[in-house]
Amino acid sequence: MKPAPFAYDAPRELDEALALLAREDEDVKVLAGGQSLVPLLNFRLARPDRLVDLNGVASLAYLRVDDGVLRIGALARQADLERSAEVAAGWPLLAEAVRHVGHPQIRARGTVCGSVAHADPAAELPVALCALDARFHVRAARGSRTLTSDELFLGFLTTSLEPDELLVEIEVPAMPAGSGSGFAEHARTHGDFAVGGAAAVVTPGGARLALLGAGPVPVRFDGPADELPDAAVAGLSLTGADAEWRRALLRELARRALARAAA
Amino acid sequence: MSAERWVGRPVPRREDVRFLRGEATYLDDIELPGLLEAAFVRSPYAHARLGAIDVEAARAVPGVGVVLTGADLGERARPLPVGGVDGGVVEDAGHPVLARDRVRYAGEAVALVVAESRAVAEDAAELVEVDYEPLEPVLDPRTAADAPLLHDGVAGNRLVGWERAHGDVEGAFAAADRVVSQSFHIPRLVAAPIETRGAIASHEADGDLLTVWCSAQDPHRPLAQLGISLGREPDHLRVVVPDVGGAFGSKGVVAPEIAAIACAAEELARPVRWTEDRAENFLAAYQGRGLDADVELAVVSDGRILGLRATLYADLGAYLYATTAVAPHTTAMLITGAYDIPAARVEVVGAATTKVPTGPYRGAGRPEAAFLIERLVDLAARELGVDAIELRRRNFVRPEAFPYETPMGWTYDSGDFERCLDAALELASWERWVELRGEARAEGRVVGIGVGMYIERAGGLWESAVVRMEADGRVQVRTGSSPHGQGHETTFAQIAADELGVEPEAVEVRWGDSGELPGIGTFASRSVAMGGSAVAVASRELAERARAAGLSVAELAASEGGVEAESRFSSGLVFASGAYAALVEVERATGRLLVLGLAAVDDSGRIVNPLLAEGQVLGATVQGLGQCLVEEAVHDEEGQLRTASFADYSLLTAAELPPVESRFVQTPSPLNPLGAKGIGEGGAIATPAAVANAVADALAPFGVPHVDPPFTEAKLWSLLQGPGR
Repeated sequence: MKPAPFAYDAPRELDEALALLAREDEDVKVLAGGQSLVPLLNFRLARPDRLVDLNGVASLAYLRVDDGVLRIGALARQADLERSAEVAAGWPLLAEAVRHVGHPQIRARGTVCGSVAHADPAAELPVALCALDARFHVRAARGSRTLTSDELFLGFLTTSLEPDELLVEIEVPAMPAGSGSGFAEHARTHGDFAVGGAAAVVTPGGARLALLGAGPVPVRFDGPADELPDAAVAGLSLTGADAEWRRALLRELARRALARAAA
Repeated sequence: MSAERWVGRPVPRREDVRFLRGEATYLDDIELPGLLEAAFVRSPYAHARLGAIDVEAARAVPGVGVVLTGADLGERARPLPVGGVDGGVVEDAGHPVLARDRVRYAGEAVALVVAESRAVAEDAAELVEVDYEPLEPVLDPRTAADAPLLHDGVAGNRLVGWERAHGDVEGAFAAADRVVSQSFHIPRLVAAPIETRGAIASHEADGDLLTVWCSAQDPHRPLAQLGISLGREPDHLRVVVPDVGGAFGSKGVVAPEIAAIACAAEELARPVRWTEDRAENFLAAYQGRGLDADVELAVVSDGRILGLRATLYADLGAYLYATTAVAPHTTAMLITGAYDIPAARVEVVGAATTKVPTGPYRGAGRPEAAFLIERLVDLAARELGVDAIELRRRNFVRPEAFPYETPMGWTYDSGDFERCLDAALELASWERWVELRGEARAEGRVVGIGVGMYIERAGGLWESAVVRMEADGRVQVRTGSSPHGQGHETTFAQIAADELGVEPEAVEVRWGDSGELPGIGTFASRSVAMGGSAVAVASRELAERARAAGLSVAELAASEGGVEAESRFSSGLVFASGAYAALVEVERATGRLLVLGLAAVDDSGRIVNPLLAEGQVLGATVQGLGQCLVEEAVHDEEGQLRTASFADYSLLTAAELPPVESRFVQTPSPLNPLGAKGIGEGGAIATPAAVANAVADALAPFGVPHVDPPFTEAKLWSLLQGPGR
């Protein structure tokens, strides 16, 4: 389980990193926490020509609150999110969801933006960010753009990020006044990949629900909290021998997440 | 007699200081000058004819030392030896060192690449081109007889055949008021030690000595098996076992890969290391369990069991290792469990399948036996309307019956099964559990309780020890037994300290070098009963010499400039036993199984160190629970292992552990000076049986008589969608 040969760069500046990503003659991958990429390299399922290691780009290592908005830089670790008092107070859904990501050793290294850009359908943070109406700031040498969850997540391990683009920041708006949130998931064992999950935000005007395990990307539903669990799973097209169990599981997880959000 | 100041005390593990500080020396920590690293080319097919292998591109990679195929090895490395079972027919289908002509499981090694680093070796291995002609896989041991033949001369794909009957079996079934029958499927499991397998092979041309450092359960079996495969006499072969990061039975035979690197080391005249990676461990290390069974009990209406009939279909895999036949044979021998059943007939069909071979994994046939008989006893109780506890009491082998010969022909040395059961019921607060179940069911919850008895064959054969006291009072114990997590350094020092009248701190325990001492090794929960007894016997000899001289051992050692005694202790099998009880709930909305309580009572004879013994109980129980909750090696219809990494094969974490209460009943074995039996496997043996009975009890109101493990959420949820109450 050793990776196939690759070239390696460790830029210190964002512009330098973006310039490397813009090389058209090579398949270039970004290394941040490496908690998904390195296993893929070791299994030789990913065979990039070049790795651009972001860990030396100090300007991307931040997690801060500006004017009530949470900003998560590309090098903010999952553990930073887990341990932030500001996140626990302002975005408890993220604090709750991140504790389901792997184990402490994984969260110490894994980044929030990396988890989003990898777009694993079993990942917790994309679902929580989807329920929180997060926006995703993307940079390339040729320019920048900002995406919503719908625009970013396209399919299994697939986003709308172009090869030369880097997810540099996630922006999470303040929770509406009087709102609550809750997260629930089901995995075979603690820290294992989730089989199903639900992130819920209940506001005075209604509820938002994002499901994990309902498809290749986070699936979002809005509506009255008491109708959401049934309404959400009714429309899912689940296949496989255990489809009916997964439907029942997602309904229960939605119910639990909404109940926590309303509590 | 010894003073027994130390035996029986919960002395903390001395070896942990070394392990916890990272000061242990595992195989991968060993550095030798000029060391090269090995990687293997492995078959992607479960069954294929092997055509041409083109290694030229791989040989041309800079840094590559040698590339070897089965044809290159030729007669230098013969298939690993096969082991027999008492009274059975075992085919000569040993594991080839590298495949020739045909591959019989996905992951079987077809070529070896040795290079300056593992990374270069893997790069080169990718360039080896192999022609495969895929053949039909053979997956189901029940129907393997009708499948394409996997080995020339092995009719019906039957690698192991064994049958034994005792008493008037047909008469028992004719006289029965009821025949209770059930079919079972017990899936294969992965042992998954933290440290995977591996070895370093180094050859000295001067004297033609091959030294193999090997992550193994002992040096003795690798010595014997490599000697046969490589055609080496024992004085031209030395095996050294360093610190070992777990085995759970999976390092009890030498891996074929180790014979291959030995050939490479000799050819290159440089040492070669193979450190198995996790992907290889999933694919190529032998798996545990893998048994289908049809079992019938003849019972009369008062609950007495008259007879048992069983056919066991073992999914043995592609080849036979020296120990592959052990598990199904053990299942057959122990299938009457704790019960005095006058008549029984058991047939073992050991089938060749296109999967990695099976071998002993913590429990090794005993968990299967306990699961089969304990499930049937509960099914019988339910069909007869007799309380399952009461039915057990009516059929137990009585304490006065020991030594008790079972209908299959093993002799239980000691035990008190009813005392174990009573202790488990008390430890569990069984009466309270019965009330809890009633209250929960009234609330619509799905709750069940169950017990599982077990018998653990342990010990047997012989083990060696040399005990030496220097003139200054320092003691060195050399043992043929070998630790890989058991705590020999602590327990063997306790045993020697008592016999010699010294402190355990004065005792150094050494092991692991075939050049120093012959022995057998660590498996079948035999370390204390056999290795510990050998230490006791040698120590006692020194104590007796001292007493005859009217001196303490220390005084004798001082006067003689050091004293030494050697022992080789032999005994028949000893039989540990016990009773476990489980309280479970199935979460209605999700099907998740929650183990709410587990009471573990083990009779391992006399306990040398209750702290370490409890650790063994807890560790084995966790592995038993893993088998209940999540563990299952799944092969698809092409014979590919679908659970080939920890992304798809889960092990339990601390978060999943229920409260486990442990207690010991101690009926000493009469067969060894310590009165010890075995402690290493009971939790893995009894937990699945107890939990399976509790799950069946929980599901009984839904018209479900039996469920096979693992008790996954999807499986239990769909059973709850049945008619219900």
